[in-house]
Amino acid sequence: MVGLTHLRRAALGFGLLAAATLGVVLGPNQARAVEIRVLNWQGYGTDEPWALEAFKKQTGIDVVHDYFNSEQEMLTKLRTNPGAYDVVLINSSYTAQAADEGLIQPIDTSDMKNVGDLSPSMRNSENLVIGGKTYGVAWLWGVTSFAVNTDKIKPLPDSIQALWDPKHAGRVGWRDDAVEAVQMAAIATGQNINDPKDLDAIREKLRALKPQIRTFWSSEDEWNQFFSAGEFDMATYWSGSASRSKTHFGLPVAFVIPKEGAIGWLDGLSIAAGAPHPDAAKKFIDYMIDPAFYVPWDTNVGAPASANAKANAQLPADAFNRAVLGDPATVARLQFMGPLSDSLREKMLQIWQETKTYMLQ
Amino acid sequence: MRLTAQAGRVKRGRDRLAAVAALTGPAYLWLALTVFLPLSAMFYFSFLSDVPFGKRVAELTLENYAAFFQESFYRTLMLRSFRLGAEVTFYCFLFGFPCAYVLAKTIKGRWREALFLLIILPFWSNALVRVFSWTMVLRGNGVLETFVNWLVPGVGSLNLMFTYPAIVLGLVHSYIPYMILTCYLSLEAIDDSLIEAARSLGARRHAVLWRLVLPLSFPGILAGAILIFVPVVGSFMEPRILGGRAGTFIGTIIEDQFTAVFNWPLGAALSFLMLGFVLLILLFVAPLARRAA
Amino acid sequence: MTRRPRGLVRIGRLYMAGVLLFLYVPIFVMAAMSFNASRLYRLPIDWSVTWYVALAGNEKLIDAALNSVWVALVTTVLATVLGTAAALAFFRYSFPGKRVMQLLLFPPIAIPWLIIGTAMLVFFFWIGVGRGLHAIVLGHVALALPYVVVVVSARLRSFDPNLEDAARSLGATPWQATRRVTLPSIAPGLVAAGLFAFAVSFDQFVISYFLSAPGVTTLPVEIYTAIRKGFTPEINAASTIVIAVSMTLLMVVARFYRFGGER
Repeated sequence: MVGLTHLRRAALGFGLLAAATLGVVLGPNQARAVEIRVLNWQGYGTDEPWALEAFKKQTGIDVVHDYFNSEQEMLTKLRTNPGAYDVVLINSSYTAQAADEGLIQPIDTSDMKNVGDLSPSMRNSENLVIGGKTYGVAWLWGVTSFAVNTDKIKPLPDSIQALWDPKHAGRVGWRDDAVEAVQMAAIATGQNINDPKDLDAIREKLRALKPQIRTFWSSEDEWNQFFSAGEFDMATYWSGSASRSKTHFGLPVAFVIPKEGAIGWLDGLSIAAGAPHPDAAKKFIDYMIDPAFYVPWDTNVGAPASANAKANAQLPADAFNRAVLGDPATVARLQFMGPLSDSLREKMLQIWQETKTYMLQ
Repeated sequence: MRLTAQAGRVKRGRDRLAAVAALTGPAYLWLALTVFLPLSAMFYFSFLSDVPFGKRVAELTLENYAAFFQESFYRTLMLRSFRLGAEVTFYCFLFGFPCAYVLAKTIKGRWREALFLLIILPFWSNALVRVFSWTMVLRGNGVLETFVNWLVPGVGSLNLMFTYPAIVLGLVHSYIPYMILTCYLSLEAIDDSLIEAARSLGARRHAVLWRLVLPLSFPGILAGAILIFVPVVGSFMEPRILGGRAGTFIGTIIEDQFTAVFNWPLGAALSFLMLGFVLLILLFVAPLARRAA
Repeated sequence: MTRRPRGLVRIGRLYMAGVLLFLYVPIFVMAAMSFNASRLYRLPIDWSVTWYVALAGNEKLIDAALNSVWVALVTTVLATVLGTAAALAFFRYSFPGKRVMQLLLFPPIAIPWLIIGTAMLVFFFWIGVGRGLHAIVLGHVALALPYVVVVVSARLRSFDPNLEDAARSLGATPWQATRRVTLPSIAPGLVAAGLFAFAVSFDQFVISYFLSAPGVTTLPVEIYTAIRKGFTPEINAASTIVIAVSMTLLMVVARFYRFGGER
């Protein structure tokens, strides 16, 4: 029938036209400036538009981003895209694995001016410095614990067992992440988060959450939505995100680091093996740990604590990252995440999946 | 058409195969390169202990498949996912078929095209955004609750979010257009005069429906059912977002093997097990289809 | 035309309206929220166009949207042509291995796209195809093919093969018979299949996610990453625009082509 042929032709024609236009628009890249590729979570500092502009002005280097939504995806991207990335954000509990697999290269930090200001325990963390070589530059650190709605819960709890308190049954939010869940339960049962010996106790502790949990959350945005809609009154959360929820979104949030301790984490910036522009990458990393970037970032947008002690000290006195995380007594209670073997991770995942299935009944 | 000569028969046989090859060749070549070969690689992985990347050492093993039979929670979740698939398919048929019938039989002309388009349109919006919009409707202090409380003050909290029904609702919403459209295509091809003839012979309305319309539109119903049942069994996005605590299914477990740990072999094994069960079910349904056709 | 009691017809139409309303609830909510200045979607709505303004400056989203459209168009054409050909073969001929071939259409729909995406990523990497828009098109056509075949087959089953035979006996070649008798008769099926293929491609994010090269993405990938980290309401604005544009496009298409199969 006539109409059908015309439709086909029109569609083909339009498609070809669109293709041609796109081809011209996206055509051969005219840029001559150096361009580096950064692999990171979306909205996690390295892609702040004002920062990239300032960096470009300073150094003439363009920055292009690719994002991942989980650490495993980050590793998969590194494994299947050799030579595609310059800078990669790698959580310190994964740096050793990435180095071992040859996915990242050692960094000579002697000519990076801000590295000297990093707090020594983080700069030289055994998770980042392997075999005497720096594989990751300490960038940001924070705490995973829980946050409460100060309007609904008074006084502020001081123990992690509050999450299991029947008083808050059905009002608790929990992050849907196997490692985090198991490690929280490890703290609640007094164990080492990187080497929990009594997995059965952890299993029991997680199962005991059944009457407590209202819902799981998996992104900061979800957390904010649920919290402001009143779905939960307390939930596991990250320190940087909690401070953002409070200052940026104006929610009545208070972050709690209980007496039993909490999970500490450290994110580092690494350079991928086979990076096209390793020197430009180093310049970018140096800029990321510079107070000139960090202070406006935390003040205006909200961020985790900087591994650069000098940058932290330049924050306003009441900033969360300075006031709470700057307190050595608090920091002493933290257990920092370290590398986990694949088999331990899989065991943790299995425990968590089993628990979630248990919670269905 | 009468076949007269043996030579003619042989030539037609060769022509026939040539025609088949020409028609199906391009599609299946494409599928071979982009789906079958990669999946074969994945199938091979499912029998390995680890993914053979870089320094990793991989051995042949059946433990990934054995894991399914050893841990009861995998079975529980597989059953749960199939149940979800069956329920969603059923509701899509229950609510979608009458809609298709109305569209095919009672609406004519420009209106029919306009409605046809309106049904397809939600498809073109991003599924993730759609599901997210449902959370805004169903959650506490969301659109639905606010509306109901405005209509009938004092009803209080509806507590619809994070429940199994919320997942079913979200999935039915996403997949019902498939059923409506495939049923519409079948129904629309049924000659109206057939129905008239049946009526004029004295058949009652529900007899017409049961014995004439449904069997004739069965291909469409079956097509819709397949397009819905199969993906729903493996779905993980709607369960995660709408289900909260109730949102654990075999699909989410498989996703975890790729995003939370690097256990592709287990993820692959679970997927192929799921595919196997789906094919088994389809094998049972196929005779029904043949009888109805 | 069959006569029916008017009451029943009216009920039928009301029911249809109800179903449509149900289908559009999230669309309305999404559109309404795109005008809500509150970042956390709090009710009552704080009417404003701030997100549309932000969207206009968001080059990344706009580029991604254009990529999506181009990929979807190419996919639709390729998938519809290839899939219809295969469906015709199944309909007309019986041949050894037919059942197996039909079964082989299921894996793309049955296996979670996550598995297929990862498998494609690894395989394409291994054979040197790499990532990028061309790889995405390869993947999308493969995913859309089963839908096209299933939909066109369903329609073909209601098509009388004698019509084709009659055309042949009048001297038409097989291709002529197909083009002038079969295809027009199953036209609604073809259009539906094409629209499905477009929707499958346009909305597909898992495959696009794995196969997109750094810096070049499609709209669903942008949306997914945005949602995971922090759902910027610009996404709502972008989605509303997409729906509005699609609606206009489809209305224009309907103007020039009848595919309701009106008799």
